[in-house]
Amino acid sequence: MAELFRALINMLAVAAIPVMFIVFLGWGILKKVKVYEVFVEGAKEGFTTAVRIIPYLVAMLVAIGIFRASGALELLTRLLAPVTGLIGMPSETLAMALMRPLSGSGSLGVMTELMKVHGPDSLIGIMASTMYGSSETTFYVLAVYFGSVRIRDTRHAVPVGIIADVAGMLAAVWVVNLLFR
Amino acid sequence: MLNYIWISLILLGILVAAGSDIADEAGNTYRNGIPLDVRFEVAKHPSPLRSTWEGTMVLSADEFNAFYGPGAADSAVRQAAIISVDASGRSTVVMAIGDSSPLRWREMARHAAEKDRLTASVAAMKLSGDENAASVRMVMEPVRFVKLKAVTAAALDYAATAVNISIGLIGVMALWLGVMKVAEEAGLLKIITRLLAPLTRRLFPDVPQDHPALAAMIMNIAANMLGLNNAATPMGLKAMEELNRLNPRVGTATNAMVTFLAINTGGLVLIPATAIAVRAAAGSANPGIIIGTSIIGSGCATIAGIAASRILQRLPRYRRQVEADNG
Repeated sequence: MAELFRALINMLAVAAIPVMFIVFLGWGILKKVKVYEVFVEGAKEGFTTAVRIIPYLVAMLVAIGIFRASGALELLTRLLAPVTGLIGMPSETLAMALMRPLSGSGSLGVMTELMKVHGPDSLIGIMASTMYGSSETTFYVLAVYFGSVRIRDTRHAVPVGIIADVAGMLAAVWVVNLLFR
Repeated sequence: MLNYIWISLILLGILVAAGSDIADEAGNTYRNGIPLDVRFEVAKHPSPLRSTWEGTMVLSADEFNAFYGPGAADSAVRQAAIISVDASGRSTVVMAIGDSSPLRWREMARHAAEKDRLTASVAAMKLSGDENAASVRMVMEPVRFVKLKAVTAAALDYAATAVNISIGLIGVMALWLGVMKVAEEAGLLKIITRLLAPLTRRLFPDVPQDHPALAAMIMNIAANMLGLNNAATPMGLKAMEELNRLNPRVGTATNAMVTFLAINTGGLVLIPATAIAVRAAAGSANPGIIIGTSIIGSGCATIAGIAASRILQRLPRYRRQVEADNG
């Protein structure tokens, strides 16, 4: 069943982009749009949008880089470890939960390390990979998306992102404990 | 709030780095200035053509850990080294530090004057009778302010990374914005929007029902669910641009933008491909076992994010920011 689901989604993922190209551009031809000219017109925006993100992404990544390099995360992990035991979360996976919203490559590193030490099919291995799959790199998404339209006042976006992350991590801990403990 | 989080990341980082450097200095973690006695197995003797000894530094793990403290090495140390003698008779050890070197030396080499290379001055060297081994007393080059140096390097590194990421987006952004523009001109985005109106009306009540932002957002969410990151980001940014057209106050996020971001940061993916690949590489018997748990995890994150965005947008402190120039 899981295999079938996986095969199906993989097929969908492979076909999605070619199908979209054909449908979108084909529809354009049917509606007598000058597809080449319009494509180029739209593509022009690509450069400015990408460049507009730069200052926002520099600000965000530099702060995250400083935080990661300092070892503050290890310190936080050690301080919070007694608390996480109470909710059935092995303290090893706490580094994962803290790193996930900050850095994609960082959390990938934590996940790989945990699997090397504890094995991919251990409770910790399964929990770490579930956590990785349960959230996005919130602060990166925030910087890129808001940066692209020059939003500086993010209002409630940060608390909302953090609430979503915490919910995702807690749900991951709960469901993995339920199924694999 | 982003202001506070941003400055806390930076301040906390620098303070922790400085604190850990002070602790290293107080405890002399890197044993600066203290001589270390090692056995040197000679492989090549000096010849008339070169005045260097080549060989291997040998130490048991216990001896190494006794010098540097517990955990400095996890196995016996066998480190290739070159001892060179200069004209005044002073000898220097140069060691190329690699994956087989002890942990503490690898850590030190990352912050040494020359990357991946540690040097030491030889205080005494005594050859054995057959000249195939020697006992060497050496003082390693001092290593200081490791974390502060690392923090500085990270700041510069990440600034460059940010630019690389942005520049790397140009191509795929251009591609998808081009395709989307054709779809828009052909009226296809309007059709998609109308089809999905029952869903989007509930998610984004502030956005007019036939607005192209809705189509871009739906396509972004669909691409994310399929794990097509290269297509998802350009569509997401297109959606943000369209949402920004409805923004009465430039530079401030709208309710719809925050809800949209909540869905994106929830990261609902049907197949968490990266995690599965890492599990397979680590030798898992069943790498795909996390598909179900990840869907539950990211589903909860997404629902919590949408709910939180709905509730928080009503709070007086966030509402005031939007209404400030209307009222």
